[in-house]
Amino acid sequence: MSEGELATPFRERAGRAMRDTFLQEALGIATTKFIGLRREAFADFPEGDALRDRARAIKEAMLQRLDEHLERLAASVERLGGRVHYATTPEEARAIVLDIARRAGARTAVKSKSMASEEILLNEALEAAGVTPVETDLGEYIIQLAHERPSHIIAPAIHKTKGQVAELFARELKRRVAADPEALTQVARAELREKFLKADLGITGANFAVAETGTVVLVTNEGNGRMVTSLPRVHVAIMGVEKVVPSMTDLMIFLAILARSATGQKLSVYTTLVQGPRRAGELEGPDEFHLVLLDNGRIGELAGPLREALYCLRCGACLNVCPVYRQIGGHAYGHTYPGPIGILLTAMLSGPAAVRDLAHASSLCGACVDACPVRIDIPRMLLGLRRELDERRLAPWGERIAFGLLARLLARPRLYRLAARVGRLLQRPFARDGAVRGLPLALGNWTQRRDLPVIAPRTFQERWAALRREDRR
Amino acid sequence: MTTQADFLARIRTEMRKTRGLFAAATAPRPAAPRAEAEAIRRELAPRWPETLERFRREFERVGGVFHRVAALGDVPHLVAGLAREREARRVVAWHAAALGADLAAALTARGLDVLAMPAGELGDEAERRALRARIAEAELGLTGVDLAVAETGTLVVRSGAGRPRSTSLLPSYHVAVFDRSVLVESLRQVGVLLEAWHAPDAPPAGAVTSFITGPSRTADIELTLTRGVHGPKEVHAVFVNADIRG
Repeated sequence: MSEGELATPFRERAGRAMRDTFLQEALGIATTKFIGLRREAFADFPEGDALRDRARAIKEAMLQRLDEHLERLAASVERLGGRVHYATTPEEARAIVLDIARRAGARTAVKSKSMASEEILLNEALEAAGVTPVETDLGEYIIQLAHERPSHIIAPAIHKTKGQVAELFARELKRRVAADPEALTQVARAELREKFLKADLGITGANFAVAETGTVVLVTNEGNGRMVTSLPRVHVAIMGVEKVVPSMTDLMIFLAILARSATGQKLSVYTTLVQGPRRAGELEGPDEFHLVLLDNGRIGELAGPLREALYCLRCGACLNVCPVYRQIGGHAYGHTYPGPIGILLTAMLSGPAAVRDLAHASSLCGACVDACPVRIDIPRMLLGLRRELDERRLAPWGERIAFGLLARLLARPRLYRLAARVGRLLQRPFARDGAVRGLPLALGNWTQRRDLPVIAPRTFQERWAALRREDRR
Repeated sequence: MTTQADFLARIRTEMRKTRGLFAAATAPRPAAPRAEAEAIRRELAPRWPETLERFRREFERVGGVFHRVAALGDVPHLVAGLAREREARRVVAWHAAALGADLAAALTARGLDVLAMPAGELGDEAERRALRARIAEAELGLTGVDLAVAETGTLVVRSGAGRPRSTSLLPSYHVAVFDRSVLVESLRQVGVLLEAWHAPDAPPAGAVTSFITGPSRTADIELTLTRGVHGPKEVHAVFVNADIRG
């Protein structure tokens, strides 16, 4: 996200998204479709729930011995003739990749969709160093041409119409194409085929990495992951440390639930297991294989309040079911990872101050926990973040005072009852059709964007007391 | 620059601070994976027709095209027919040893321009590039199959000598030939076989194992399903009702 974009407050970004009628329609259609597909996929998969529990346990067991698993992974990769690099910060990760690119004399790098590379802002760094990065996932390719950022983890360009894509291709590729997904896809296939065959460097993320065998696992539907790992002379995979899984047996448990959660498929079209550079006897595959292990705030949360967010498989299921995401889409969040899990990951990567506003962009309804393949308790951690923001005085002062007062009020029954009576009087000029509207000054921030229900003519406590009196008679 | 020692030391420091973790275990792995893999194959052998039927159903559900022939000798006729219907002429095929049979002559006799892959490595980078350019021009790729997974309709294909990765990737049409010996029922069984393939005493293979579940697809433009974005737009699985390797 550009600096300019982040300088806009979250409330404005969200407001802009809600006034964008096409985005609203696209979001509604996409998220509803993904929810339905996911539900169907698990409906005829009775063992799904047990597998989700198993997967959750494996993630926890992996974190409890993270050092050993990473050590084994590194040893396996090196045994295969690959190289392992360690990056504590995004700067370090970028420097490592740039160094590999420079040694390879790379002019073009083809990339398979990788959130980790988005997270370290790799494309900008490659461009500055004279290496042209080419995103090859169709959605990522479209938004790269448009100089935008992904709006959904697994459907990065859902905010664009086919008409907009056709205009984009006409402008950027100088190709006149009908606004038809089939025709547009064929143009992208031809354009990108050239790039795959010419590129010197292939850059991927990793959905998983198997410690025991040194295998990097990529899950795609288009086949670009296979291209990027087979055709260029050098392959670099960048992965967060939490992506390691101990064995092939563990891997199969994750594969059985990942695609079902993301797109409702039993498996994505291509699951590609890459074990180091080209072997003896092989005609294809890279001469060099590099694995970059990325910390960027993850290791600091191993014993921190956001530890559980390290289970995340990046399937996007929590985005689709989130009532806030469904309204505002991915861009309004303003960071690499959108949606409920994105708030936690942003706090992990950039510190809690980065989610001062975002920590409240959740209704805490819990739909995300139900959808999460590894049952990450996102609302619990969001509440923890809100508490931390308050305790560390990172939350805005107005908010801290307001909630401080509310807390006192709620803890004192007499005061609470008095406040209800006073409130009933004060709301009179503003109450219309069952809601309080147009409150003055800072209070207007609330009533402008949501319905504040009126205080009932008789509160529950008053009605309860009256009922008791009737009973006694 | 962060070294491995620094990196792991930081992880250990943080791990020591964790409190109140719940007991959790990774998945139990097969003790003797190669023996267990053999046991699975023996157990599956008698019920291969059910497994095949389930594979066919799932493979068709993900957009694959299923064919069944009586013998390996019927494959060239089928492939030539598929090519003709699609106005395709150039075919790349795995090396005969990898495919289990030499089909090149029979395909050539049916008017196809067949490029069979060499048995092993080529001399240098220039030769490899030249060969790859020819694979990229081919319209149809003919390969074998290492596993056909009924639960998901998946073809598992390993790279290696005589079986380059791009034969199932660059051509628009992928035709994969298999027999009952590669059928498995579930992803769990695939896990055992993967463990067996990576056991210390396992025979050498290439660096890539590809799970292929239908034709290449995307829904990135307005969620409209489109086939053949980077990989093949059609995948054909040809079941040979006889042991391919005799």
